[in-house]
Amino acid sequence: MSEKNFIKKALTDTVLTRRSFLKWSAALGGTAALAGGLKFGLKAAQAAAQAPDSGQWIPVACWHNCGGRCLNVALVKDGVVVRQKTDDTHPDSPDFHQQRGCARGRSQRHHVFGADRIKYPMKRKNWAPGGGNKELRGVDEWVRISWDEALNDIASELKRIKETYGNKSLFLPQFASSRLLSAYGGATASYGVTSDGSWLQVQSQMASNLYTPNDRLDYRKSKLVVLWASNPIWSSGGSPTYNYLQAKKAGAKFIFVDPFLNDSTQVLADEWIPVRPSTDTALLLGMAYHMIANNLHDQAFLDQYTLGFDAAHMPSGADPKENFKDYVLGTYDNTPKTPEWASEICGTPPDVIRSFAQEIATTKPMVFQSSSSVARISFGQQFCQAFLTVGWMTGNVGIPGGAVTHSYHSGASYGGAPLVTPGGNGLPAVINPLFPGGGAYGGYGFAAPEKPGSYAMAFEEMWDAVLNGEYTAMQGLKSEAKANGKIPCDLRLMYFIRASSGANALNQSAGIPKGIKAFRKVDFVVTSDIVLSTVSKYADIVLPATTPWEQDLGGFLTGNPEMILWYNQVTEPLYEARTGQWIETELAKRLGIDPNTIYPISMEQQAFNSLVGAKVIKEDGSGYEPLVTITTDDIKALGVNGKPQQGRISFQDLKTKGVYQVKRYPGDPYGFISGQAFRNDPVANPLKTASGKLEIHCQALSDKIAAYGLSTVPPVAQYRKPVEGYEDTFADWDKKIKGDYPFQLVTIHYGRRSHSVFDNIGQLRRAFPQELMMNALDAKALGIQSDDTVLVSSRWGKVVRHVYVSDRVVPGVVLLGEGAWAEMDESLGIDKAGATNTLNGTHPTGQGEEPWNSCNVQVVKWTGAPLEYDYKWPHRVPIHDSTDVRSDEWHLEPDIITPLKGA
Amino acid sequence: MAKQLAFHFDSSACGDCKACQVACQDKNSLPPQMMWRRVFQYGGGNWSPENDIPGLFRASGVFSYSVSTACMHCQDPICLKVCPAEAISKRDDGVVLIDQSKCVGCRYCEWACPYGAPVFDETRGVMTKCTFCEDLLAQGQNPACVDACPVRALAFGELDKLRKQYGNVDAVEPLPSDEYTHPSIVITPNRHSQLSGTGTGTIQNLPEEV
Repeated sequence: MSEKNFIKKALTDTVLTRRSFLKWSAALGGTAALAGGLKFGLKAAQAAAQAPDSGQWIPVACWHNCGGRCLNVALVKDGVVVRQKTDDTHPDSPDFHQQRGCARGRSQRHHVFGADRIKYPMKRKNWAPGGGNKELRGVDEWVRISWDEALNDIASELKRIKETYGNKSLFLPQFASSRLLSAYGGATASYGVTSDGSWLQVQSQMASNLYTPNDRLDYRKSKLVVLWASNPIWSSGGSPTYNYLQAKKAGAKFIFVDPFLNDSTQVLADEWIPVRPSTDTALLLGMAYHMIANNLHDQAFLDQYTLGFDAAHMPSGADPKENFKDYVLGTYDNTPKTPEWASEICGTPPDVIRSFAQEIATTKPMVFQSSSSVARISFGQQFCQAFLTVGWMTGNVGIPGGAVTHSYHSGASYGGAPLVTPGGNGLPAVINPLFPGGGAYGGYGFAAPEKPGSYAMAFEEMWDAVLNGEYTAMQGLKSEAKANGKIPCDLRLMYFIRASSGANALNQSAGIPKGIKAFRKVDFVVTSDIVLSTVSKYADIVLPATTPWEQDLGGFLTGNPEMILWYNQVTEPLYEARTGQWIETELAKRLGIDPNTIYPISMEQQAFNSLVGAKVIKEDGSGYEPLVTITTDDIKALGVNGKPQQGRISFQDLKTKGVYQVKRYPGDPYGFISGQAFRNDPVANPLKTASGKLEIHCQALSDKIAAYGLSTVPPVAQYRKPVEGYEDTFADWDKKIKGDYPFQLVTIHYGRRSHSVFDNIGQLRRAFPQELMMNALDAKALGIQSDDTVLVSSRWGKVVRHVYVSDRVVPGVVLLGEGAWAEMDESLGIDKAGATNTLNGTHPTGQGEEPWNSCNVQVVKWTGAPLEYDYKWPHRVPIHDSTDVRSDEWHLEPDIITPLKGA
Repeated sequence: MAKQLAFHFDSSACGDCKACQVACQDKNSLPPQMMWRRVFQYGGGNWSPENDIPGLFRASGVFSYSVSTACMHCQDPICLKVCPAEAISKRDDGVVLIDQSKCVGCRYCEWACPYGAPVFDETRGVMTKCTFCEDLLAQGQNPACVDACPVRALAFGELDKLRKQYGNVDAVEPLPSDEYTHPSIVITPNRHSQLSGTGTGTIQNLPEEV
């Protein structure tokens, strides 16, 4: 897009728009300021929306970590988006389905062009080098500053802290690395698991790669599909629910296991097995007992393909008494894990446990599939161990129509290798000298705790590390630990400069009240952001970031394995927004680092490299070939270096359509049966586990978890009481007398948001009100009715919300969606937005997974003024100034949120 | 009447994702407080304590399903009858439209409509509602909600043909009986659906949602 033409257009637009635009350019100091980006107000969007019959449809990015990945197309008129649509690039059919998006994606224009975009660099009024008045973080006024001032201040603080306290005082919460800080000597980092819960080490140690589902079309061969803790409508937007529906239409019965009769059950479920949160392991053990007692398990499969089920099939060197069967039967601990034993814990009636076990053991082929959420509890490995073990007891491995699988997110309902992939961007790997094994993204799933030199703590320990000056040493760092096993630390600067938004660590890790204290302790917090998300609200300097809608050449997005998306630029960077690459480049210059060492390739060349390297499966399925045809004219027009090539689709067609999707049909050569070679010949095709078999008894797992230093796990599945699980809701377990926090709160994925992204969108707030969901019997006992405002308290924090009373929730359980932007009433210590991490405590276990799925809470009716509906709240606009032509598009009152009046 | 356009809604496939509702707001530039298409959720059931195990409850008949609603472009539109300004008309294809230039904003139609379809635009002081995306229809395109549905639960066509294909159900809870206005809607029921007037459940939405 030509910047000059755009400016001309904007200046000749309506009087209103022109005036707005001129106000902006005047405020920025005349035309010189225009060179860096375009500035216009939201009135332009409104004016354009009134005549949306012209304009151009452009495929655009829907780049969020939502669990879907769909085609988003924007109607662009005069540089603003006036409408959106989704995939209509080919006729729709169940086999070759369109990549249709969800309510969130369809709200993307309100996100990019929202009145609450961060427009220019800002600093806290009472910030000074060293921190100034730190207590005012989160409540201070914002002051607009120039890019030069912002960059100089940031560079100066980085330099001061590095030179005074060392690189280890620079801190990357929920990050493993940044290109800039890695080149600057590194930073203390963090690691752990958010989405996958406790699954990662369990699946890789027990099953190697044999936990993925079969191909999408193969689901239609199943007779029974068990979806454990799965709500694809909210967690895997786009096509997965539609894909499962095809399996249902082909005859599969669907059973859902969940504390909540969730929305996806309306489409799919033939049966619902209610279960209490964090007790699923007990349910599985009760099922295993029924199968063993009635000889329903597939002993021949277990004998040939697994180790550790019974004393006769143990790994060499293991104590034969540690086998799974004897644990279930209670041979040595005198506690048979009967359905009655299980029921007391999990709340599923014993006869239901028996009939469920009977059904999964006697129906083949069956897909036995779990999401990740259920494993987001402390000591959560136990669930994954038990799930795989009970699944394997049915023998549904490596066969058409079957699977024992952990599948979720954009991979839900899809199995097998990607049929179309992007090329690499050509940037060198980024290695943080203080966390060399951490990878590029958040230390996510960090798998080498034995490695020396990993100065990183579990996400769950981040705020305690700041406040207490120590964190747990992984095995590789033991030699540097104090007598208490901790590594001392002095964390002084938190760095959140990233590509656009996301990584909202303060909001998206347990213990927000503790996190706020940590933010108020350090010397300096810097973020780049597109809106004032929670990390930015509590920061000292906030930089305006671009979104992918403002990115020059565009780029690829991937999701399900059958397609790839290409997005285009919609507009030049809005206001004074800049890319993360530009920001880190400018900082590098000020820190004496050659920018070419961290970003040797332009963003355009990076995007081009990924085009050149993109591959698609050959039509006969025999291998891969280049995806994109690139001409010399393309290369010239893009101003990049490269050679023309022949591919399946021209670059121009790819840009116009925005998607390349491999055409699927039953019997096509792209099918996939997970573990088929192993099933056919386990000797010739061993797994990459220690024994080559599926390991029900897995010493490698126990050893690996111990190396993180946070907790231990036995080598076979055993029920161990989680922290803040069902048992901890009681003051006296034996007499069943409840304690101060009698409910279990489950943090669920929610329709309004992709994690914390989109929480600011009015139409999504209306559609998904962030309600606390509660069972009708519990509500009645508390004198609570739907729409009442309730106060929810945990041992860690308090929120107020409207309550939704329904029989769809298991008694004793309440649910709340993750990702609401914490909105603390400072005087009352109450979060009005209902961020689940205001309530969730920090309990570091396993490989650093976040234990979000069971938190003990108390619920009482709020006796103060009722909470205003979220969609009527004003935007979180950091600075209202005279040049601000922001839209009052959806909110009614532009005031700041009024404080709650306490009882 | 030559023909009557109608929506088909497949409640057996609807997972309450609200893509249709938001696509409608997007297509028609509606602010959050205005919704021409709304998704209602309806559900019920019971829990009863079991005596032999303390704290154990058994669920019976717990269910939910959703109904995506907009203007029903009724065969007997009561909004048209009550409008004192004669601002509401029914076209030859059955689509019911409001002429905002005639509307006086008295809100009688909103009060009369059993589906709550007309929505008051506070900024302009006039009534608005689903137009069946008549502008898109004129260009040979589908209504925005139809193309938005990720589970393909919405379709449209001539009422008679849809009835032949999908049956005669046009009133499930929480919708009112069809007797008042004869709505132009064809519903494929969910397996849990209860016909209007026979409901055992309640609307599962908070007031702010709908």
